[in-house]
Amino acid sequence: MIAQLTLLDRLRVPTYDDGSQMRYGALVIDRSRCRECGICVRICPGACLVTDTATKMSLLNGTTHKGKSGVPRLDLMKSGEAGCIACFDCGTACPHGAISLAGHFNPGYRFKRIAQEDVLAYPQRY
Amino acid sequence: MNLHANESSPTGTYAEGMPWNPVERVILERRSIRSFRPEPLPDGMIRRILEAGRFAPSAGNMQPWRFVVIKSPEIIAAMERDAVRIARLFMFFLDYARGGRVRRAITMPLAKLFIRLLPNELHAPPFMLLSQIAQGRAPVFHNAPVIVLILEDRRGVSCPAVDIGVCGQNMVLAAHSMGAGSCWIGLIKLLRYYPKWRRRLGARYPYHMNESIAFGWPRPTADGLVPREVQIVEWREGGPDDPPRYERQGG
Ligand SMILES: Cc1cc2nc3c(=O)[nH]c(=O)nc-3n(C[C@H](O)[C@H](O)[C@H](O)COP(=O)(O)O)c2cc1C
Ligand code: SF4
Ligand code: SF4
Repeated sequence: MIAQLTLLDRLRVPTYDDGSQMRYGALVIDRSRCRECGICVRICPGACLVTDTATKMSLLNGTTHKGKSGVPRLDLMKSGEAGCIACFDCGTACPHGAISLAGHFNPGYRFKRIAQEDVLAYPQRY
Repeated sequence: MNLHANESSPTGTYAEGMPWNPVERVILERRSIRSFRPEPLPDGMIRRILEAGRFAPSAGNMQPWRFVVIKSPEIIAAMERDAVRIARLFMFFLDYARGGRVRRAITMPLAKLFIRLLPNELHAPPFMLLSQIAQGRAPVFHNAPVIVLILEDRRGVSCPAVDIGVCGQNMVLAAHSMGAGSCWIGLIKLLRYYPKWRRRLGARYPYHMNESIAFGWPRPTADGLVPREVQIVEWREGGPDDPPRYERQGG
């Protein structure tokens, strides 16, 4: 159902690194399928993905050593939150189908989603 | 995985449940591309993309846009440097996710005040991309070989910013239909803070520098289908006082 934006919601600006106030994309990486090519790390808009040896910039600038770049993971802030906006651009780019999205991105309070459900769905042929 | 629709329906027809037609495929499979081969698109292709923009609809046929094609690696590198510089300045005052408690105590109220006063200037989680850019962890223009700036003519009737969006998306879709990649770069706004860039790029009255689009050959190709939130759509089919019917679009 359509969510309501309450007065409290309108007044409150969420603290973005507080998981109880806003939610980031729940990205899941299947380690067994990942071949450590680094593509997802390179193309993530906000550099949310890193590996033990590579970052977005190191891959873009070619400063990472050639070959396997390690299995990616969401880069967490001190608060334990990540910056994933659930665009799934990493998922379409991954050549091995190793990435899936288990939950959407919902900025809280005054930015909260109103007419969108938590459920993610692929395009539907009506 | 590049999930693609594999069959295709002819355009100009509709049957329930039919496969996507080629136009729909371009619309649905387009992804923002943020990694490009270094060589630019051929000039002919850039002109062809601009044609899609030139023929976009606009309120009152005002065509409130002006295009600037930036192909010079030197200029793009300078834009990148200056955009990063201003992102750093902003984040110095506003990024409360970094630094110690004292820093956070000062920057958090400042950031929240900023969001209240200028609610559209920062993303809801204000510093994801901007903070990464300020820390040198993500680029602004994605090392793209071509940037097309769409200046908004503020004299446009109704809401010229919408016309800019329509015009730009026409170009984006044309580009992807030809195998190129694109990414909208709203962060070109960072350059508005420099009089020199406003002058150089012609962003003076009546023009407003709101949006730009990066184009180039994708490396790797990353177009494909993605999941998105199910949308609740309100249908009104009865009389004006009848309650609406809510439908889950996509789910
Ligand atoms: C008006 C507009 C401005 C945008 N600005 C940026 C930007 O500055 N940098 C960027 O990396 N992406 C930018 N984007 C791309 C969005 O992040 C992207 O469209 C969104 O995450 C959905 O992903 P998709 O385009 O792959 O479907 C912009 C998109 C729009 C429509
Ligand atoms: S879904 Fe988008 S923001 Fe999240 S990790 Fe993938 S590319 Fe990055
Ligand atoms: S793109 Fe896929 S295979 Fe490559 S590193 Fe990322 S998850 Fe692993």
